[in-house]
Order: sequence, then structure tokens, then C-alpha cells
Amino acid sequence: MSEDSHPFERFLRDGMMPHIWCEGCGNGIILNCFVRALKDIEIDVNKVVVVSGIGCIGRLSGYTNTDSYHTTHGRAIAFATGAKLANPELKTVVISGDGDLFAIGGNHFIHAARRNVDIQVICANNFNYGMTGGQYGPTTPLKAWTTTTPYGNIEHPFNLVHLAAASGAVYVARWTTLHVRRLTESIKKVLQKEGFSFIEVITPCPEIYGRRNKMATGIEMMNWFKTAAEIRNASDPAEAEISPEKIVVGEFIDAEKPTYDHLLREMMKQVQERIRGEK
Amino acid sequence: MIVNKISVLIGGEAGAGITRSGFLFAKACLRGGLHVFGTNDYQSLIRGGHNFYIVRVDTEEIYSQADTIDLLLALNRETILLHKDKLVHGGGIVYDGEEIALNDEEMDRDDLKLYSVPLKRVVKELDGPLIMRNTVALGATVAILSYDLEILNAIVRDAFKPKVAELNLKAAKMGYDYAREHHAEESTYRLERTSLAGKRWIFLTGNEAVALGAIRAGCKFFAAYPMTPATPLLHFMAPLDREYNMIVLQAESEIAAINMTAGASFAGVRAMTATSGGGFCLMSEGLGMTAMTETPVVIMLAQRPGPSTGLPTYSGQGDLRFAIHASQGEFPRVVIAPGDVEECFYETMNAFNLAEKFQIPVLLITDKYLVESHGTAKLFDPNRIGIDRGLLLTADAYAGEEEYQRHKFTKNGVSPRATPGTRAAIVRTSADEHVESGYTTDDAELTTKMTDKRFKKLDALTKDLENYETTKLYGPRKADVTILGWGSTKGPIREAMKLLGKESPTINYLQIVYLNPFPVANVQKVLKSAKQTVVVENNKTSQLSSLIREYLLMTVDHEILKYNGRPFNPMELLQKIKEVL
Repeated sequence: MSEDSHPFERFLRDGMMPHIWCEGCGNGIILNCFVRALKDIEIDVNKVVVVSGIGCIGRLSGYTNTDSYHTTHGRAIAFATGAKLANPELKTVVISGDGDLFAIGGNHFIHAARRNVDIQVICANNFNYGMTGGQYGPTTPLKAWTTTTPYGNIEHPFNLVHLAAASGAVYVARWTTLHVRRLTESIKKVLQKEGFSFIEVITPCPEIYGRRNKMATGIEMMNWFKTAAEIRNASDPAEAEISPEKIVVGEFIDAEKPTYDHLLREMMKQVQERIRGEK
Repeated sequence: MIVNKISVLIGGEAGAGITRSGFLFAKACLRGGLHVFGTNDYQSLIRGGHNFYIVRVDTEEIYSQADTIDLLLALNRETILLHKDKLVHGGGIVYDGEEIALNDEEMDRDDLKLYSVPLKRVVKELDGPLIMRNTVALGATVAILSYDLEILNAIVRDAFKPKVAELNLKAAKMGYDYAREHHAEESTYRLERTSLAGKRWIFLTGNEAVALGAIRAGCKFFAAYPMTPATPLLHFMAPLDREYNMIVLQAESEIAAINMTAGASFAGVRAMTATSGGGFCLMSEGLGMTAMTETPVVIMLAQRPGPSTGLPTYSGQGDLRFAIHASQGEFPRVVIAPGDVEECFYETMNAFNLAEKFQIPVLLITDKYLVESHGTAKLFDPNRIGIDRGLLLTADAYAGEEEYQRHKFTKNGVSPRATPGTRAAIVRTSADEHVESGYTTDDAELTTKMTDKRFKKLDALTKDLENYETTKLYGPRKADVTILGWGSTKGPIREAMKLLGKESPTINYLQIVYLNPFPVANVQKVLKSAKQTVVVENNKTSQLSSLIREYLLMTVDHEILKYNGRPFNPMELLQKIKEVL
């Protein structure tokens, strides 16, 4: 490695830079935290598969030097489930957006969490569909302006960490892109944990979302995160509000539960032993 | 006296164990060395309604049910009233005369033999569950047909747990004894053990044959969402998964099922899913994704009548064009239509090979009639078709000199396929159009090149298919009439040809097994020398005719179409063939 090379060089596909993300977007921070986590825990990168859906953050899988599959809209979790079960040695990480994972792909999310499939889901929540032109999504706050809520949003948003916890995820955390160190620690933790893990990352989308909501720059959005964020580890995710005044972040759940993969292999072993016994 | 040639219908309400009883009776005939065909008819209900199962028995090979019934096993009154007119002259009805009173007026036939057996009373005497009436009726039937109770007993012992079997054996014996005492010598039908008894024939459904084919092909991942008539495949696979190291997962939807299947295949194992029309609608996007990312998958599409939810528990062939065209954009795929249980087994094995050799989706298009009917077959040859995984790289590390590229341009369009986890290879792909290394692109020139790459595989595939039986010709090489069909119509068509015997007009039958890519040369060869052509299909718009027009610029002379959810009966079909000529 030359002296000038970046410490993350081997994790990043530099030929793909510059990335497609807008000025002030938080996706680059998420990418940064992700590869830092890969580096810090010295994971065997050969075994890491990044599965992404459609949307701005979906492009992330193209920037990492890992095996990757960019699925159709909303299907990253279902795809990752198949890949992980077929080859249990893989570390399948799903990185996608709020619209992809919770609107069109919501069904896969709750069922994978319920099954406790050993996959790790990182959701970039930017409160809207950025890539397709700023429509409202399942996490858009009440009253927020988007291209499809010209008079303000009248739909109640999902509380993603509450949803994940209720669906059975064994690890649930929320950070903003301001919390780079804590976010990196969370990613490191889930990369070393078995079971369905979920990290929500609140990320600024000044260009498409912020502009319409009086936060036209990345700095303004980050200032919102800074003034509103309140770290409440181990608190009830049902109470983890996101409002102009308060964004509750933290590590809400870190539990142990047998994974689907584990139960499946155990059962296979038992049945095969029984059959051998019968023969 | 008619020996070893009979058609028996067992009917009753849903939940009364009709299919099970029919299956046991069929097995008892098979065990005696007879050929058997069994088909069921049921409604989308758990209790009530009317279900029936037809068992047809013969000494020679049979391919479908018959038009008529010789003996009716009626577990309720409705069965008699619904089916009495299908009984041949002099046919019989086994029923519980103590529970069902029949009056002459509603029967309106005096040629039938009525075999009353106190089914319910026997069950009560044994203090057994009401569902055991079936077994009493089966015992009585064996006596009426002068068949061997020991064969039925053996089947009962195989089918139930020891305690339950014990009770059922008693029930069968009591039914048998009662009928011997009260109905001896009345029947004109007899069943006898033949010299083939004990020979190893198998009796199974299309679904079971597909499942066995998949297991033999080394399928290691099967994900599906329950949908009739593909559900029994999931049922059959589920207990096998633990035994064969195969993962069987009931997905949350068909969308999930196809994407999980793609994921498993991407990870390097053979993977399959199965569904019916409505579920296949949900799979369409995923189907295109597997084609775009060149991820091999096998999908069984078991048709039922549509549109929409249609007739959930009935049969049809309305989805041929849908299978050929489903999903946006253009990409090569294989569509195979097995026509009997043997083909269900072997073509499933072929499907896996083709999917991996050309890294494309392969569809097995079946229907309710094929996958849920039981047919007799010789033991499958597990070694007839080998396993060819194509350009799958199984080494631990990639050894190529250049950087690995998942979608590398090659002469025939097929790129070496590494799986994630392979050292020294970044395995990357995208549902978006991509460059050779798998990165998303919207470059004009590359889009053309990548599309051409995928279609080069079609050329290679078409060439390879010359080694497959893409069509099959039955009957004389030259005939007055040539019938064309695909899929499950095979059984009734072959039966109709048997009924015709040596009469004129002479008929031959071209079964088109591979519908896509369309086997142009084979079909053309037959059609060129055909005098009159008739397409037989279970759909409204004759989709096969349209394919023939499309690929051969030829119009078939006649179309015989049935689209009421029911399969053709052989005599009905033969009459229609004679009518159109």
C-alpha cells in the first residue's frame, strides 16, 4: 500500500468514485462507518455479501469491495434470506432505504425478523423517496412537505425501531449520521452477532427532502440532529419519538434468541440421526 | 363378466377422506399387478361441499380417467344423485341403505345394482370415528369385486399407524363379510391379481414426481407460498428437507419465494420454487431479475383456471403465453410442459441442468389435473439424466489471470459463474443493467452488448435442445389426422387414440414438450406431411395454435378447446375429433 493510499482503500472500489450522492447527503457517512466497521473487526471480507435494494443508498453495494447483489425494489431481505440459508458461512448485510425496506418491502422485513434469520439490516432513513423525486414514504413525519404531499403529510409514520422490536429483531438501534462513532460500534456489533439485527440511521437529504422542509443544506439537517438527538440506550423503542424537538436514538435491544438457521440445522441433524437409527 | 377393467368413483363431502380412500383402493389394485389412474375433484372448502376421486383400473397401461363409471362408492346421498347418470348400464352403487333412502322417482333408473352396506352401523359397533365408513366401504367393494382382502389389508397396514390400522382392518373385514353375505355373485365386475403383482411399479402424482426429480437433481433449496394446486409439492417437500439436507421454506409471499430462490442460487445451490397463476403474477418481477442477473432458477407453474383467483381447485391451460412472456423486457427462458408423471420426473431434472448450463430461469408448466392426479409408472431411472452444473466455479479461490467478472462477454454468452465467498473473486451483479463486472450502467453501447450477450445464450440453448426430446410423436408417422397438444392433455389424447383402435381416420399425435424456445424444426417436419391438423387444449384462445402461427406461419385446421376447469374425457374427445373433421 502506498503512503498516499486511504486506509479504507481495500474495502472501497475507487474506480467507482465519485459516488452519485448529493452534497450534504448522509449516505457517504453510512458507507464510511460500514467500511470502518469491516476494517476494525478484521472480518473476512470474502464472506461478506452486501445486498441492496433500489434507491440512493442502494448504490452503496456498488462501492464496496465485497460480493454484492443489487436486487429489485424492496426485495433485498428476501434475497438475502435465501443466500444466507444456502451458504451459512456468508455474512449477509442488507443496506437499503426506508421506502425500499418498509413500504414495498415491509412484508419481508417483518417476516425475516420474526423468523430471526441471521441477516443484518442497515436502513438509511431520509424520510422520503430521494431518487424518484422526493415523494413521501412510510417514515415521512406528519405535516412534512414532499412532492406528493403538497399540503403536508397526513399519514402517520412508522416508528422503525418499534416495528423491528415488535417483529422480533434481536438487535435494534437508531443513530443519526451525526453519531458516527456509535453507529460504527453498532455495525461492528451486529457483524459479530447472530440473528436478525436492525440499525436505523437517520440521514440528511437536504436536496430533495430538506429543501421542502426548511432545512435546505446538510448543515441545517445535521444541526437538527444535533439539537434534537437524545441518547436513551435500553429505553422502550415504542417511546423512541422523532419530532422537530426530539430524536430519540440509542441501542434499544440487544438480546439472544435461537436463529432460524440454527434451529433448521439442529432439526436436520436430529432427523438425520433418527433416520440413521431406523436404518 | 368383466375382469380387471373398471372405473370406480368414490364420493362424499369434503373432510370425509375421499381422496385418501380412493388412493388406498388404487394402491390395492396396483399391488395386485394392475394399471391404475386416479384423479380427484374437490372444491375450495375444508368441510362440506362435494368431493370425489375416480380410480380407473386396467390390465394395460392407462393414461386418464374414463368417460363413464362402473361402480359408485357413495358416502352421502348427493354423490348418488350427482353421478348416477355417469354410471354405465348395469353399474353398481355401494352405499349405506340404513342412512340413505333412495326413491325410484329421483333415481329414475332401474338397471343399477344397489349394494347397501351398513357403513355407519359397523363404525359404531367398532366405536370408531365416522371417517372410517370409507374403510368399511372399501372392504365391501373388495368383496363385491371378488378381489383379495389381503391386498387391501396390506395397503391399510402401510397407510396407518399400527393402532389405527388395527381398527381399520376390522372395519374392512366387517364390510367385506357383510358384502360377501348379502351381495355375493351379484356383480358383473371382477378384479383379479395378475402376473405383474409384486412388480415394482410406482403410483404417484405429478407433484410427487416433480419433487423426486428435484431431489434427484440435487435441489438444495425450495421456497414456496401455499397455492393450489402447487401446494402438495410444498407438503411433499417439507418432511424431506431434513432428510436430504434440503432447505424447504414457506415464504411470506410468492414475491419472497422467488427472491429467496434467487438468493439461494446466487449463493451456489440448486434452487426451486412452485406456484400457480396468481402467485406467478407476483413472481414476474423476480423472474426478470433472475434473467437479468443470470441466476439459474427452476419454477413450477401449476395452472388452474383464471383470470384472478378463478377456480382454485380445478384445471386449465390458460397460462402458456403468460409463462412465455411474463416479466418486463426481453430475455431467454425455457418453458417445459411435462405431460405425465414420468415426464414430471425427468423434465424436472432437465430443467435444473438447462437453468445452470445457460444461467437462465426455467419454467415447468403443469396444471392441476397433471400434478394432483395419480398415475402408474415404471420405477424412475435415477441415472438417465446426469447433473450438469455448467460453468459453475466450485474452487475455493478464483484462479483466473484477469479480474473476475460475473457477466464476462464470452462466445456463447455464458459466463463462468463464481459464487460469493470465493477468494480472489468479487462476485457482483445488479438487477439494473450492468457492465461485465456487475456494476450498474446506463451506457447505450453496453446496454446493446449486454442484451446481445443474454440472447447469445438463446442460440446456444436452441442448439443444445436438439439433444432433448422437445417433441414426441405417437401413432403412425403418416396419418389422416394429426393432433397437436401440450401438457396434461396427453393422457386423454392417448386414451382417445386407443379407443379409436384401428378404425379410420388414422390419427397421430404430436406432443410439444418444450414450448419455449419453440421447437420449430420438429413441429414443421410433422406439420408438413400432416393432412389435417387439430389442436387440443384446455383454454379458450388456443394459445398453442397462436404459437404455431407465430413460428411456422401455418394455421391449424381445427381447434378443440375445453375451458370449464375439467380435463377432457377420452370418448368425449374422440367424438369431438370426429365432429370437426
